[in-house]
Amino acid sequence: MKTLEELRQFYDTTLINELIVLEAQRKAVVKKVGIAAAGILAVIAVVLIVMRGAMAQSAMFALFPVVFGLVVLGVITHLMARGYVGQFKDVVIYGIVKFIDETLSYSKHGYIGESVFRACEIFKRQPDRYKGDDLVAGKLGATEIEFSEIHAEYKTTTTDSKGRRKTHWHTIFKGLFFIGDFNKDFACEVVVLPDTAERFLGRLGQMFQSWNIGRGELIKLEDPEFEKLFAVYGDDQIQARYILSTSLMKRIVDFKKKTGRQIFLSFIRSRIYVAVSYNKSLFEPRLLRTLIDFAPIQGYFEDLQLAVGIVDDLNLNTRIWSKQ
Amino acid sequence: MTMLIVVIVIAAVIVVGIPILIYNSLVGKKNQVLNVFGSIDALLKKRYDLIPNLVSTVKTYMKHERGTLTDITELRAKAVSGKLSDDERVDLDNKISGMLGGIMVAVENYPDLKANQNFLQLQGAMNEIEEQISAARRAYNAAVTDYNNALEMFPSNIVASMMRYERKRLFEISEKERENVNVGELFKSE
Repeated sequence: MKTLEELRQFYDTTLINELIVLEAQRKAVVKKVGIAAAGILAVIAVVLIVMRGAMAQSAMFALFPVVFGLVVLGVITHLMARGYVGQFKDVVIYGIVKFIDETLSYSKHGYIGESVFRACEIFKRQPDRYKGDDLVAGKLGATEIEFSEIHAEYKTTTTDSKGRRKTHWHTIFKGLFFIGDFNKDFACEVVVLPDTAERFLGRLGQMFQSWNIGRGELIKLEDPEFEKLFAVYGDDQIQARYILSTSLMKRIVDFKKKTGRQIFLSFIRSRIYVAVSYNKSLFEPRLLRTLIDFAPIQGYFEDLQLAVGIVDDLNLNTRIWSKQ
Repeated sequence: MTMLIVVIVIAAVIVVGIPILIYNSLVGKKNQVLNVFGSIDALLKKRYDLIPNLVSTVKTYMKHERGTLTDITELRAKAVSGKLSDDERVDLDNKISGMLGGIMVAVENYPDLKANQNFLQLQGAMNEIEEQISAARRAYNAAVTDYNNALEMFPSNIVASMMRYERKRLFEISEKERENVNVGELFKSE
């Protein structure tokens, strides 16, 4: 495990030179976007003046050009920044990944496949839109791992009274999705979900949870802290406890507290799947502020370290059973 | 008039239906306890099956533990013979667990044995079966707790007393086992 001091050293000796080069690129992109923004603003102003007459009837007409202008600006920014973002990831994120562990591979456009996401049994809704990036893969000790950012959504369409159809997108999951080789062999499926019912309703909540159709049996475990945070479903009472030993339960609780976020786990065919919810995109460079700053580098490092650290936090490298 | 009939029918369904649901739920819980108990038995048998292999693998290396190894083989034969009461079986199983634990600890003194591929595989298998047995015991206690709860909580306690169901005991280690196993003592019988 690399320390913050080591990261600081890495930043001061190697990374900072790359950042200086990228900073020049960033400034160029900001300048271009600024010019584009000015241009769009001018166009909007002209349109508004021309439409003066229409605006007297309804202020709504003013909205259309403004909104349209903003959308166009957004698209232009995205297109112009693409090259810069790509460069940033190739240099900075790649550098930090290799700094954490030389043997890990990084692919900025790669992500965990949709079929794997569906197969992990955590999220029952099928995604209508699925994307991701920043795939890291490799083997730490005896454990093979793979993780990436994932954003999965489903859509609902509503038809209002005038017959207009609107599509709404809802997030199924957004955040870090991690797959690891588990240290025990097992044939059953176990899913560990965040527990809301039990926390508020106690035993009554447990009763509602056991009615959850479409999931396996509710598995009631002994660790009270674990039970308060998670609800466990599985198809075999004994195998589920074989996987979720008392020490693993404690480690999962500690890991959840460390992330401070909602986490989901599942255990299928001797692999462990961990989904950590984030409401923002990770590993994206800032456009409007300087790159020559240790704080965001520390942020990327800590996010990566969190995922890589799952192997140690959940003790996956202890291989004292028959699986090696 | 029809309203009254509807109300009576609904009331009848509730009055008859709920006890039926409770009765079925109690039977389910009782059977779950038996189910898990059976699984524990199956796992214990698996563990007994590993013992001859273990004894033959370590025999040539562990010269000082010959006595314990012979003891384990004898105890295992007794356990597998099947002519024991439930209490005797639990007692025997605890004894075997203690001895197995002692042997695994004593292995530390034999670096050749520790490096032996055969032994390492066996050790992995033993750890796995021990963990499975521990998981089964936890599952048993969970099933028993569930069953005992239903027996004592309202309203299922009414139905349970009518069925004359009784509390079941959780898996506990006896007071003797709770004292730390003295590994040195284990091997003095040479």
